[in-house]
Amino acid sequence: MVDNMQIKQLEEISKGLRRDVVEMVYRTGDGHPGASFSVADIITALYFHIMKIDPTRPDWEDRDRFVLSKGHSCPILYAALARKGYFAPEHLMTLRYLHSILQGHPYAPKTPGLDSTAGSLGNGVAIGLGMALAARIQKKDYQVFVATGDGELGEGLIWEAAMAASHLKAGNLTVYVDNNNYQSGGTVDEVSGPYPIAEKWAAFGWHCQEIDGHDLGQIIKATAIAREVTDKPSVIVARTVKGNGVSFMVGDNTWHKRVYNEAEYKQALRELGGVL
Amino acid sequence: MSIVYDNTRIGFRDGMMELAAERDDIVLVSTDSLKVVKGEPFQERWPDRVIELGIAEQNGVAVCAGLASSGLIPYLCTYAGFLTMRACEQMRTFVGYPQLKARFIGANGGIYGGNREGVTHQFIEDLGILRTIPGYTILCPADGGQVKAAMKASVDIAGPVYIRIGSGREEKVFPDGTPFELGKIRILKSYGNDVALFCNGFILNRVLKAAAELEALGVHATVVEVATLKPLDVEGISAVLASCGCAVTIEDHNVIGALGSAVAEVIAEGAPAVLARLGLQDIYAESGYADELLDAYGMSVGEIVRTAQKTVGKKR
Repeated sequence: MVDNMQIKQLEEISKGLRRDVVEMVYRTGDGHPGASFSVADIITALYFHIMKIDPTRPDWEDRDRFVLSKGHSCPILYAALARKGYFAPEHLMTLRYLHSILQGHPYAPKTPGLDSTAGSLGNGVAIGLGMALAARIQKKDYQVFVATGDGELGEGLIWEAAMAASHLKAGNLTVYVDNNNYQSGGTVDEVSGPYPIAEKWAAFGWHCQEIDGHDLGQIIKATAIAREVTDKPSVIVARTVKGNGVSFMVGDNTWHKRVYNEAEYKQALRELGGVL
Repeated sequence: MSIVYDNTRIGFRDGMMELAAERDDIVLVSTDSLKVVKGEPFQERWPDRVIELGIAEQNGVAVCAGLASSGLIPYLCTYAGFLTMRACEQMRTFVGYPQLKARFIGANGGIYGGNREGVTHQFIEDLGILRTIPGYTILCPADGGQVKAAMKASVDIAGPVYIRIGSGREEKVFPDGTPFELGKIRILKSYGNDVALFCNGFILNRVLKAAAELEALGVHATVVEVATLKPLDVEGISAVLASCGCAVTIEDHNVIGALGSAVAEVIAEGAPAVLARLGLQDIYAESGYADELLDAYGMSVGEIVRTAQKTVGKKR
């Protein structure tokens, strides 16, 4: 499925995507780096190993789909799309600027490779469900992947979609919960109380797994298991760390949305294996 | 003369049947609303093209976004307010903004549509809400045959479409087979240019009766159907206003936001005319029989006649 050499390569890619995000946030002066880093390894595994995609044909009907329901993490997704070849990496440094192809939150019509508009929380599971049901109607075998946050689980629409997806046996739908334990206002414990997460999805009829969301091998293995489950949708609750990869961002929720100063920028790049 | 009805819900169902027979990208999405629109024949014939999501309208609209982004044309029909109010953000951000080909059919439009159910099921804001959201085509047909024709006329529009329907007791206005005039006003009666009566939806029958009564009183009216509320036929409306110099809008909707506002905007921006707006005067109605409600809330034939006469009197 995946050997150690591939894992090492994926780890390097993931670090590279994080470096792109550091550059984007530092140079453009905006963006959400903390939540980008918690979902970074999931996005790396999807775009560089798991998903059936073709960057030369972003609208290929048979491609796998990905919906970043926690749309504010889009800098890491934009980096992945650029490094995958959907568009030139130079665009990354136009993030959130007027006339950029990279909107503040994902807007599919402007950005090659984006499968869905996102940013208003709570909508991605339902949109992914629509894509998954479209595959059934059109007799296609593509998979649909969605990444949500854990604070995002407070949105009622998540659970509307969860109930319908299991009732409709959407086996080609897999949701990753980026369980970084933080939301904008603090820890999810303090603010909204989503725990126990896996048990909630299980009660809605989903196949559940819990993994280390920064272990690329575990992400790939769990996704393969989810794919084998065809009579119900799958959720992978990924324990992650907000700011993962940069020491001073971990445990400091101001990095939910914050711009690096020059010293922080240099240290972040160094820690991520960058060359200054 | 007995009234002939032309149920707009059946019109929707028949439109779905005809479209699905012709093309394989049509999907019926239900939020436990299949029986509301008598959709059983569709389900029997195309069970694989029905998606039942239960009572969850936000999910319904967002699922439509996923379906539409995958090349299908989903039609979601449920109560107008549960779409445009409860799922307003999904309609705006995930369908309107990316300009997806999803179609939303809002039932129980107006107090006529909601009638005895009361305010929770009487929707007098749907058209106004959607008119403020960029990229929607908004259609307000007059009877069941026109609903079907509107669906067929709008099926290939690149962005989203909203079609308002009622609850099933709509009076037949147009002969069978009358096409829907997408994007254009339609002049239904030209008695003269004393006053223009702008109208849409299933109170068109009342406006036609009022125009005939006005004619008997010596007031020569032009009856204009504005079934496409957006994009608005500004040119057509301006020409009628220039000719008549005064107008009454009649709509089963709050007078703020939809037809009355749209005509007022045209008048203010370049087609000066005297205007009166009939409809819900920024108030909630109450339960009651449909025709009694319209009479009670200022949309009786008599009120249309009186308002037209008064408006003509204000012309210089």
